[in-house]
Amino acid sequence: MTEKHEPHVPHEHSDPTISEIKKEGVSELHAHAVAGPPPREEAGPLGGTSRTLWGDAWYRLRRNKLALAALVWILIVAIAAITADLWVPQNFGDPRTIDTQAAATQRLLPPQPGHPFGTDDLGRDIFGRVIYGARVSLTVGVIATAIAVLIGVALGALSGYYGRWTDSVIMRTTDIFLAFPYILFSILILAVVPPDQRGIWPVIAAIGFLGWPTFARLFRSSVLSVKENDYIDAGRALGASDARLLFRHITPNAIAPVVVYATMSIGGAILSEAALSFLGLGVQPPAISWGRMIDDGRAFLTIAPTVVLFPGLAILSTVLAFTLLGDGVRDALDVKMKD
Amino acid sequence: MADELLRVDDLKMHFHTRDGVVKAVDGVTYTLGKGEALGVVGESGSGKSVHALTMMGLIPMPPGRIEGGDVLFRGRSLVQMPEAEIRKIRGNEIAMIFQDPMTSLNPVYRIGRQLAEPLMVHKGMSKAEAWKRAEELLTLVGIPHAESRVKDYPHQFSGGMRQRVMIAMALACDPDILIADEPTTALDVTIQAQILELMQALQKRTGSAIIMITHDLGVVADMADRILVMYAGRPVEYGTTDEVFYRPLHPYTWGLMDSIPRHDVTQKEALCPIKGQPPSLIALPSGCTFHPRCPYATDKCRSEVPEKRFVAEGHYATCHYAGDEGFVRGEVECAGVSA
Repeated sequence: MTEKHEPHVPHEHSDPTISEIKKEGVSELHAHAVAGPPPREEAGPLGGTSRTLWGDAWYRLRRNKLALAALVWILIVAIAAITADLWVPQNFGDPRTIDTQAAATQRLLPPQPGHPFGTDDLGRDIFGRVIYGARVSLTVGVIATAIAVLIGVALGALSGYYGRWTDSVIMRTTDIFLAFPYILFSILILAVVPPDQRGIWPVIAAIGFLGWPTFARLFRSSVLSVKENDYIDAGRALGASDARLLFRHITPNAIAPVVVYATMSIGGAILSEAALSFLGLGVQPPAISWGRMIDDGRAFLTIAPTVVLFPGLAILSTVLAFTLLGDGVRDALDVKMKD
Repeated sequence: MADELLRVDDLKMHFHTRDGVVKAVDGVTYTLGKGEALGVVGESGSGKSVHALTMMGLIPMPPGRIEGGDVLFRGRSLVQMPEAEIRKIRGNEIAMIFQDPMTSLNPVYRIGRQLAEPLMVHKGMSKAEAWKRAEELLTLVGIPHAESRVKDYPHQFSGGMRQRVMIAMALACDPDILIADEPTTALDVTIQAQILELMQALQKRTGSAIIMITHDLGVVADMADRILVMYAGRPVEYGTTDEVFYRPLHPYTWGLMDSIPRHDVTQKEALCPIKGQPPSLIALPSGCTFHPRCPYATDKCRSEVPEKRFVAEGHYATCHYAGDEGFVRGEVECAGVSA
């Protein structure tokens, strides 16, 4: 557009389309449009890479030491759990099986070389059991939260976007779900499951199914505020469909609070799983879960407190890590705190 | 008029609120030819924006309700058209530029993506084609370094630049009609002039018809072929720009003319605002809605609603005395504004 042709000559044809203009070169049109001194406003930021919202958030999260430590801790636990088969049985004995000899000679040992967290009443290495238990805890935490987020976001989006009776029906249903006593209701659900079918999936279903109402409310309120923006009206005026506006334009602008709360919820789901397993309604032996380990160790609390202590610490540290990470994500996504 | 593109026929859009019926648009009639520019002028609340949004089917109903009249675009009724049909027209055949460029772009997407979207939706272009076209469009509206600017986010653009982007977006699909709803109100004066020049240049080249909605007669003077003056939801005067400027018929139009700031007269006479306030649209004055503010009002004005009075082909005013011998624009005392 910088090259200058001869002075502007009128066109032979009266109605050129934009594309025709383009073919002829935009230089004369441009000269026409911004005749006179070059506009001052053109001194915008040029060059350089433009960070995305998430790129920006990641940059800020990295500078938050506490959140970063939490993230590192979660990654350590996750990697240890995923790779457990490769190194736990070789070094600490297989914590998933009962070695009759060990059960007789090595029961309830205090922490010592070879058994950093000691052993339980059946001579199994507690460190190894904590590592394997992380599998159940993290799986339940992540998948149950994902289910809750999916249901909650879908219903919250419909509710906030369409309003009216859709909103009323969904929100009243949400109110009813929120009025259920959470743990009692999951106990009820799991009590219906026959004992031989209990395990990780019924727990995930119960926690996920009961967790969505908060997400629905959160996302609904977020959608309500985002949909009032001018760019949504502009999008509609350009011919965008409801689905496009809702999922392509509103959701990316409204999802941040859900991401924050979901991160924290993973910790909550881990706690719920521990509680349900402690009550014997969650995963069944020989599967390992932190809540189950605390339940098993209850009887030996006075003579070998380490049996309860270490799975307890595992729950505490992991749940705390998810909460701190959630806090960090909230700060990172808050554009008002931008520096 | 050569090729009739749009016919607005006695359009009435009323809002049913708790406080009563708001007659936001009440009997607007005009036609728009291919490539013509219409200026719609009026104070805040005169129904000029609502009439445009009604045409586009962008007024939520309820509370809005079309009480009568029709809008024919290429002979097809936009009022009766199902949502799925009208969506293909929005942004494609009739596009709109909004008032506030600062809030009309989605903050989470790159400019190029937002320009590409209507092209992909309406013209079925591939992503690569659409992005290439986005670059051309940015160049067309006078944004330098388009090839790198398409990758920038809205916050990296100034107000004037964003309005250029909005214009580019509206022009993306080569619309037949471009509705500009106070496109320069949110911009400062020097940028205003640039944007108006740009729109004029683009209109000449693309052959789109323009409906320019503004409260500023000065803005439409240069640009419009015809002018529609609205007051309290009703059309008060309609005619070619020359006729409305040189032979205005309605006392309200006279008042608007006196309210244009001028630099060639003494400070004392510089600005003569119309006395009083626009009426509440719920409780409209009886008879002619302008009579409480009209210095020429008679008993007839207070009791009878004036019909359209044509003084020339395509030039009418809704005033009992329009065109009468001796009923001419007089000297107004400028109360309230003195040096």
